[in-house]
Amino acid sequence: MNLAVLCSTMRVQMKQSFARPMFRFCLIANPILNTILLYEMYRNAGEENFMAYVVLGAGLMGLWGCICFSSAGDINRERYSGTLALIFATPASFPGIILGKIIGNTLISLLTLGISLLTAVVLYQVPLTLESPLYFLLALLAAVLSFVVISSMVACLLTLSRKTELYMNCIEIPINLLCGFAFPVSVLPGAVQGISRALSPTYAVELLRMSVWGVNDPAAFWNKLGILLGLTALYALLSALLYRRIDRRVRIAATLEVA
Amino acid sequence: MIRRFFEQARLYHKGRRAAFSAEEFALMEIGYPLVTLIFYCLIASYSFQTNDLTDWVIGNAFLLCTNACVFGLGNAFRGERYTGRLRSIIASPSAKLPLILANGLYPALFAVIASACGFLVGSLVFGVDFSGVHLGLAALTILCAMASASCFGLFLSVFGLINDSMHLVLNVVSYLLMLFTGTEFPVAQLPLAGRVVSQLMPLTKANAAMKLLFAPEHGAFWPLILAELATGAAYALLARFLFGFAERCARRNGQFDLF
Repeated sequence: MNLAVLCSTMRVQMKQSFARPMFRFCLIANPILNTILLYEMYRNAGEENFMAYVVLGAGLMGLWGCICFSSAGDINRERYSGTLALIFATPASFPGIILGKIIGNTLISLLTLGISLLTAVVLYQVPLTLESPLYFLLALLAAVLSFVVISSMVACLLTLSRKTELYMNCIEIPINLLCGFAFPVSVLPGAVQGISRALSPTYAVELLRMSVWGVNDPAAFWNKLGILLGLTALYALLSALLYRRIDRRVRIAATLEVA
Repeated sequence: MIRRFFEQARLYHKGRRAAFSAEEFALMEIGYPLVTLIFYCLIASYSFQTNDLTDWVIGNAFLLCTNACVFGLGNAFRGERYTGRLRSIIASPSAKLPLILANGLYPALFAVIASACGFLVGSLVFGVDFSGVHLGLAALTILCAMASASCFGLFLSVFGLINDSMHLVLNVVSYLLMLFTGTEFPVAQLPLAGRVVSQLMPLTKANAAMKLLFAPEHGAFWPLILAELATGAAYALLARFLFGFAERCARRNGQFDLF
């Protein structure tokens, strides 16, 4: 994989994404509005540290929104603008270009966490503490990796359909709900928690929250991190298989269009 | 005239529905809104530490209903521009209001179904008791809320002529409805300016009226309903005025957009 291609794709993607009004909504307005909403809902909950549910919740909901409305639909967007065939046929690898787009999107989408933090500080001057910053950094890196891989998998799956817009809209709230971005997954019924446990963002959120509150049990932290990385590896494998399948299908059908 | 209105509404619906199978359409129009309702009720259940979710089920079921009116009507001109019909619509001597209303007819019908399903889910999943509620008054409240939200949607639809970022505008508005209408937290929590804004928003009074139907005394039910209708009428007048202005500008400048 050519690093220069990856970097230039990331740069172009960030500019292109930011030019779209919907992405700007997800990146800027969504975390601000979600922070206000969650703060008002949590202000009488007896929670002292608003970082765990308000800032992280709003930031992660914004991050996932950006992924849904950008990374997930990027391949389809290329198809719509007639450039999919060109980037598929270039000597630079197609998965490399897609990965560059997804990393670019995910990196710019991390701004949602900062915007959410800034909103809470500026508007409410609420107590925000981060007890274990090093663990938090580690958890954040693992979360970013996990989101990049998930985006790649979702982008692949949505490539197979013309109805990307429908699915993009329909995966946002269910993932917010199942992965416990704004409340702990223990609130969910047992059967639903089973689904939550198969989704890597659930562990990413729990790790981030653990480090906000302070990691008192490092073994539990490493255990969750192991599960998160294992699931991420599994998703990466699935994503690679999907790319191979799409590549094969395109070569057989001699078209990048879908039925 | 009436026949043409319904025929136009059917064609709009057909255009929206054509790309999807019945299951996908049901998922989009009813399934996804219900997941959204469950998501916000779960946040409320955890943050407010309560099992009585009556207020949130009512508020979010109302939002399902009104969001469809706001999005359905608000997107009217964006859709027309996208399909290249804006020129014919602006230039034609026929009234524009029936056209916009026809655009929102089917979304409103599906919204009522989604709203009813929301109440059903509220009853089945969150144990909300509707047994003591006067169904006639409840239906009247929903109709008033829809009428008011439709007028608000008409008002927003004019912004489709003023800017090209209706996705951004409508998504921000959907959050403002959550923040200022007492759906997710009591309006009394807001600062004075927020409480004033909440009284200017559609749905606030209908929401409060519906909550009164669950209380032993209906108290200020009728004044709230009248105030909701007055809010809707004010938005309808504003929409009429703004659209007249936009139409005059379009004819004078020989272009269809004000931006």
